[in-house]
Amino acid sequence: MKRTSVKIVVAGGFGTGKTTLVGSVSEIAPLTTEELLTEAGVGVDDVTGVESKTTTTVALDFGRITISPDVVLYLFGTPGQDRFWFMWDELAQGAIGAIVLVDTRRLDTSFAAVDYFERRRIPFVAAVNRFFGECPYTEDEIRGALELGADVPLVWLDARDRSSSKAALVALVRHAMSRLPLPSAL
Amino acid sequence: MIDGWDGDDETATGGFLPLYILVNGRTTPRNSSLDLATQVIAIAADVRRLEPEYLQILDRCKDWISIAEIGAYLHTPLTIVKVMVDVLLEQGYLDSGSPAQQKVIDPGLLGAVLAGLERL
Ligand SMILES: Nc1nc2c(ncn2[C@@H]2O[C@H](COP(=O)(O)OP(=O)(O)OP(=O)(O)O)[C@@H](O)[C@H]2O)c(=O)[nH]1
Ligand SMILES: [Mg+2]
Repeated sequence: MKRTSVKIVVAGGFGTGKTTLVGSVSEIAPLTTEELLTEAGVGVDDVTGVESKTTTTVALDFGRITISPDVVLYLFGTPGQDRFWFMWDELAQGAIGAIVLVDTRRLDTSFAAVDYFERRRIPFVAAVNRFFGECPYTEDEIRGALELGADVPLVWLDARDRSSSKAALVALVRHAMSRLPLPSAL
Repeated sequence: MIDGWDGDDETATGGFLPLYILVNGRTTPRNSSLDLATQVIAIAADVRRLEPEYLQILDRCKDWISIAEIGAYLHTPLTIVKVMVDVLLEQGYLDSGSPAQQKVIDPGLLGAVLAGLERL
């Protein structure tokens, strides 16, 4: 088999535990890589532009899980700020799917991520991070607030806990498999 | 472009665009299937003609490594790593694996990922 990369996106609002989840399951300490962006409408096509004020960098962190000698899974956390949608597109392209982390103290911060994956029909699971043990909402209340489709799995997790993060990844891959076209439709 | 999405989405740009950078006369990889998760590996070759920036990348590629990891270890933005890796691929210094860019619709691959995760 050819050396193969697969991706899972870890998304959610600012401070919802994305980096913590990546770190708890990755076989390497999470790494950070940067992309250079330029303000829309400003044409920069030369290295001389890199110093200019019209450019900015966006950092994203990621981890790695070796699945087999040929297959490596990369977990990419989305950048915290919503304005870097361009990076989301690159992360989501070809991904198995996404885990959308939800902080029950600020449900609304994960709404943009839910909406992003819904619109593109990318499989995702909502993962409610238990920051303070007891959750003040029922599953139905969270589903309602985030406008989750009935088929979207909702899991509870502690992103600091390896087996809990692993269970969320397993739920996502199972969900992605359930959405594969039937063999007869291929 | 992601399957099933028509690109008509008010959240698409958010005011920022990728910055294209000129490396060896090119601003984007010719091989557009290069993804930040694509893995590459060095091929034995005479590297004496290569500039230090390229040698630095090759040094990291003795074993399979992704574009994102190269960028992280060398503190180089992804756009630049992609274009330079593309040059090295084209000139036969690197080999690449599957790009992780097509939608995964291979049940065998998903099954392998599931089994791998359950073993963790
Ligand atoms: N109690 C508790 N704390 C958590 C959990 N997950 C993350 N935290 C803490 O919450 C804070 C934010 O977590 P991060 O993993 O940095 O969140 P993030 O989503 O990567 O944040 P940004 O990248 O800034 O958007 C950290 O101080 C974590 O230690 C959790 O499951 N339970
Ligand atoms: Mg983070």
